[in-house]
Amino acid sequence: MNNRKKKWSEVVFSYLWSAPSLILILLIVIFPILYTGYISLTNMNVYHWNNYEIIGLENYKDALLVFDNGFLTALLLTVLWTIINMILQLIIAFLVASLLNLKGLRLRNIYRTLLIFPWAMPGYVSILLWKTGMFNSQFGLLNQWLEKFGIQPVRWLGGNVSAFLSCTVVNLWLALPFMITIIDGALQSVDKSYYESALLDGASWLKRTFYITIPLIKPIIAPSVVITTFTTFKQFDVIYLLTQQVGAKTGADIHTILTYAYEKAFITNNYGYSSAISIIIFVILIAFSVITNIKPKEERQ
Amino acid sequence: MKKMLAVLLCVGMTVGLLSGCGKSGKQEKKDDVTTITIWHDKEDAVAEALQEELEKLEPEVHVVLEKKSDLTEALKVVGNDPKAAPDMYFFAHDKIGVYAEMGILAPITDIIPKEELNDYMDMTLEAATYKGDIYQLPIYYETLLFMYNRLYMTDEEVPKTTEELYAYMKENTQGGHYGFVEQHSTPYYAAGWIYGFGGYLINADGEPGLDCDETIQALKYHKKFVDLMPGETEYATVNTLFNEGKAHATIAGPWLIPTVKASGMDVGVAAMPIIDETGNPISPYTGVQGIQVLKYAAENKSEAVEKVLRQLMEPDIGVKLAQASGCAPANEKCYEMEEVTSDDVVMAMKETAENAVPMPNIPEMDVMWTVTGNLLTDVNMSGKDINESVKKAQKEAEQLIENMK
Repeated sequence: MNNRKKKWSEVVFSYLWSAPSLILILLIVIFPILYTGYISLTNMNVYHWNNYEIIGLENYKDALLVFDNGFLTALLLTVLWTIINMILQLIIAFLVASLLNLKGLRLRNIYRTLLIFPWAMPGYVSILLWKTGMFNSQFGLLNQWLEKFGIQPVRWLGGNVSAFLSCTVVNLWLALPFMITIIDGALQSVDKSYYESALLDGASWLKRTFYITIPLIKPIIAPSVVITTFTTFKQFDVIYLLTQQVGAKTGADIHTILTYAYEKAFITNNYGYSSAISIIIFVILIAFSVITNIKPKEERQ
Repeated sequence: MKKMLAVLLCVGMTVGLLSGCGKSGKQEKKDDVTTITIWHDKEDAVAEALQEELEKLEPEVHVVLEKKSDLTEALKVVGNDPKAAPDMYFFAHDKIGVYAEMGILAPITDIIPKEELNDYMDMTLEAATYKGDIYQLPIYYETLLFMYNRLYMTDEEVPKTTEELYAYMKENTQGGHYGFVEQHSTPYYAAGWIYGFGGYLINADGEPGLDCDETIQALKYHKKFVDLMPGETEYATVNTLFNEGKAHATIAGPWLIPTVKASGMDVGVAAMPIIDETGNPISPYTGVQGIQVLKYAAENKSEAVEKVLRQLMEPDIGVKLAQASGCAPANEKCYEMEEVTSDDVVMAMKETAENAVPMPNIPEMDVMWTVTGNLLTDVNMSGKDINESVKKAQKEAEQLIENMK
């Protein structure tokens, strides 16, 4: 009895202690989602701003019209974008982090600080700096180099493929600091004695990486990888600011689902309709997360 | 100790977060019917001139000017909440349709009789009118201007017609230099060509005109000019090319003039070239900057609001703004004064304004910027077929407008 009582109070207290953060999460995360869901059932738009009413699933009916061929193309491109970015991010971050952990590396902390730098800058600023400083066809650094070699300037953001690659480069620049930091930390947590015995057994660097490092850091970096996958999936700034900003469109026609939804819905000032689209995208995102979180059978056991 | 600190921090942050939603402090100010809050997003020179002018109303009316960089979005959110909303705001006329439909604006004719607005230029009053009501007291307006660098283009060489401009471009566009650059694929800039041909982006009834014959003609004709300009022509590129003397002439807003003057350029301003095909000059959009009154203030503080409006109806503010920031006053009376008529830039804007078109102020215009931008990019930069592109864009615009409702 006494034991049970103690358990109860523990449960109550644990909820009590976490209540502030739970309330915050509720306010910041759950409430907006629910509210968006509510708005999506109303006709809130410019013409019914204060006197909006619930109109049922009308908005969803209209929203499904947006999910046409253009949307499917955008969805495919978003998946491709996410895969390419995540693979490159993980490989590059792993290599850089391994280099940072080389034995006898001098000025290690200076390198670390430098590598964090892109993260400290506001994303918006970095993106526009890349746009005018690097990719611009008149003044961009890349084209000035090309000119030195007597090659015609290239409009990097003009074509679909080159714009996609340029966006990837910028996204990597923005995202790598986080990944490097995480992997760097994970690498330091690996017990050095494993490597010593592996070395005694004559294991090569590749073998040590695949049989010791990766399995050991996997659980540590997994949550960050999942989070980054999501931010990459719903990336808007990089692609929009580099290629589609009103007044600065470059001619490239690459859309992720978010830039697509922006152009097809959000600019209409129709909040009900835009909310319906947001909810559908939200459902798609949840579906993706469920799929990616399904582990192979043997791993689950 | 550490724990205590952590707890304190947590509490502090939570409170800070929550109080962000509160409206403490504003309450007091709002109840005072002699205090008027005005939101604006203008540069300091303009704000100072306004402040100075409105200080004349003290102590009867106290005016607080608040700079809001996200004014348009903020108004959508708080516009109908008298505790958080301003009493008036100072902004371009092109958003009045949206706010009037939302029901947060009061027509200024509720306070000032319409007859008293006779001194204002017709164009500015047209801009301020939405569905028959005048929602803005115009103060000044901006139009695009034809600018040239006297180092390369002499006053005699300034093209009178677009064909002359084309000839000049052909002759001078080489070796990193451009005869003329403009933001050819930005709707705000391309509109001048489209309206010069008699086309339009959207009419007063909210019908897009991207696929009308005149618009198509304009796009076709404009294309040959585009071919002699750099591929990338957003704001920064065009202005830098002109500022660094790599482009001899450009079409830009008056806001560029202080920058180029500071870099030591002898810049000239001229009237827009006449389009040979139609006999009309390039007819750019104008933005009329002025003051709008929110419904709550009009109903509850009409006396103070009236005083502010009347103060701003005096020609003084127009003259002051012309001198401080090169703004072209909306009040015709200002053009009787030497201080205004002696300013080249202001007078060039006045001349351009004769043919300029006020930006549409209907809510539907919001979607046209993106659609037209896509159309111009398709035609000018991706080299897509004009007839097909306009059809696609027109359909897209109609669909989006449909979705607004």
